[in-house]
Amino acid sequence: MLSTAAQLLVGGVLQGSIYALGAFGLSLIFGVLHVLNIAHGDFLMLGGLVASLAFARAGLPPFLTLFLVGPGFLLVGIVFHRLLIRPIADRPRQEFLIASILITLGASLAVEDITAFSVGGSVRGMAYTLPPIRVGTVMVSSLRLVNLGVVLLLTLLLGVVLRRTYAGRALRALMQSRDGARLCGIDVGRLSALAFGLGVALAATGGVLYVTLFPITPFIGIPLTLKYLCLIVMGGVGNLPGTLASGCILGVTEALVGFYLGAEWSLTVAFFLLVVILLWRPTGLFARGVA
Amino acid sequence: MRGLLFWAIPLVGLGVVPLVTSSYAVVFLLLLFVNLTLAESYGIVGGYLGYVNLGHASSFGLGAYAAGILVRGGLPFPVALGGAVVVPVLFWGAISYPFLRLRGAYFSVATFGLLTLLELLANNLSRLTGGSEGLSFPPGYRLVPAYYLTLGLAAASVGLSLSVARSRLGLALRSIREDEEAASAFGVRLFACKVRALLLSAAPAGAAGAVFAWYQAYITPGAVFGLEIALMPIAMAMLGGSGPVGPVVGALFLTVLEEVLWTRLAYFHLTVFGLFLALVGLAMPGGLTGLRWSRRILARLPGLGVAAGRGVVGG
Repeated sequence: MLSTAAQLLVGGVLQGSIYALGAFGLSLIFGVLHVLNIAHGDFLMLGGLVASLAFARAGLPPFLTLFLVGPGFLLVGIVFHRLLIRPIADRPRQEFLIASILITLGASLAVEDITAFSVGGSVRGMAYTLPPIRVGTVMVSSLRLVNLGVVLLLTLLLGVVLRRTYAGRALRALMQSRDGARLCGIDVGRLSALAFGLGVALAATGGVLYVTLFPITPFIGIPLTLKYLCLIVMGGVGNLPGTLASGCILGVTEALVGFYLGAEWSLTVAFFLLVVILLWRPTGLFARGVA
Repeated sequence: MRGLLFWAIPLVGLGVVPLVTSSYAVVFLLLLFVNLTLAESYGIVGGYLGYVNLGHASSFGLGAYAAGILVRGGLPFPVALGGAVVVPVLFWGAISYPFLRLRGAYFSVATFGLLTLLELLANNLSRLTGGSEGLSFPPGYRLVPAYYLTLGLAAASVGLSLSVARSRLGLALRSIREDEEAASAFGVRLFACKVRALLLSAAPAGAAGAVFAWYQAYITPGAVFGLEIALMPIAMAMLGGSGPVGPVVGALFLTVLEEVLWTRLAYFHLTVFGLFLALVGLAMPGGLTGLRWSRRILARLPGLGVAAGRGVVGG
């Protein structure tokens, strides 16, 4: 009994922290550019797909693929921003929101359609395992442990980048006040591109980790984007620890509900959490004053 | 009066369609009217108020299921249709308080989540809804009466949108869209106005859901809460632009485009459709009716009142 609960807890934390990685990417994009990127989940899907193809065709282990997918998708994100987001950047707020929804929704539909056509619409996983470890009565899959380690490492790295480097500080400044940051001489255009690229790269890296544990299809993008968005509302925009904690809460609750009530209910959890949190703390669970 | 006469001509024209053409054209127009009703009613919140309600289709689905459950319970369809209006209105009334605490993109996210939740609930509460196997109505051939009902609904929702646009409420909604704080400072009661807009937009969508379900005689959670029914009308309203005329133009354009793509292209219709949406977002900030030449045409149409200026057409 205890070990079942522990298994669920570990699994939930793991899945949640992978969600959090992508969610923080989206939060970065939203915080800096105010773009509601509906295509975000599709980048996770693409990252996972690349890893699964690299493993199936070339035998490349997923933790090596990470080093390709990360920089690769950083570039993809920057190009995406240059072609599709930059041209509308100067529109008034309301027009910008609508245009960004149309553009990212359109991109998402196109990406899913093209992916389904070129690799097939079926479920795809990865038969990659590492030997499990036994701690007391709890069996811990070492694949999951490595995954968790990678997520924590990436989060830590991201935290350091955001706090210590010039670009990271500029990004945080942009999230606080766009005009203020511009007045301080920050190149908004270049940093917006960087934020978008970084956000996309985080989602795609999350996808590489995701596919080692869970199956993917070309159509998981939009539901995933939705979960990400819930996490952002819960954790607060640009709040890295808050997003991580929210991700873990979501992952654990999903795992518990899925086990005790049935898998068909686990998907409703994200949303119930969201509504409860909105009623209780409308600015987010971990918001620090600024709404 | 002249305006009314002008608009009566196409309405009568559409009225005789089932008498003179194939059922293909009738089905095509019926679906167009359903989408148009959704796009127009979406426009009250999405266009005038400027809150992008990605969960607008939840009214459609709730209406469809309410009607289905009531008809199966033995009630006649007109009563069920009434129920299909009441249920979504009550639903939005109940959730308006937490949801209207959100603004901008957050509101869009939460309402999008709402739709997903309803789809899951429709799947899981199988005693009530039949679950993923769907809910069937007593069989029957209802194309022609459903056609007239949807035509009426589409016309009514255009009328509703027009009257909101001309009312004090419409003015208040647009002032909230431009600047909530300023509107509030001028004495606009923000919450009351927003709730009214939400309820007004829920009612026609619920009725459209009921008629659609009645016509199809069979509904599944995916069909009435799914992404396609959720996003198409919104894309139509955004494509057309804000105002009572925008969604009509957008609905016509996208329905025809989709029909052409499905029949002409073997693959990649979703890709082309998606690229088209992205192109609209990139190139047309005010939607199709925001373009200069379309404004000029619209200004000549009678009966739209202030439509000529920025008033109704441009927002």
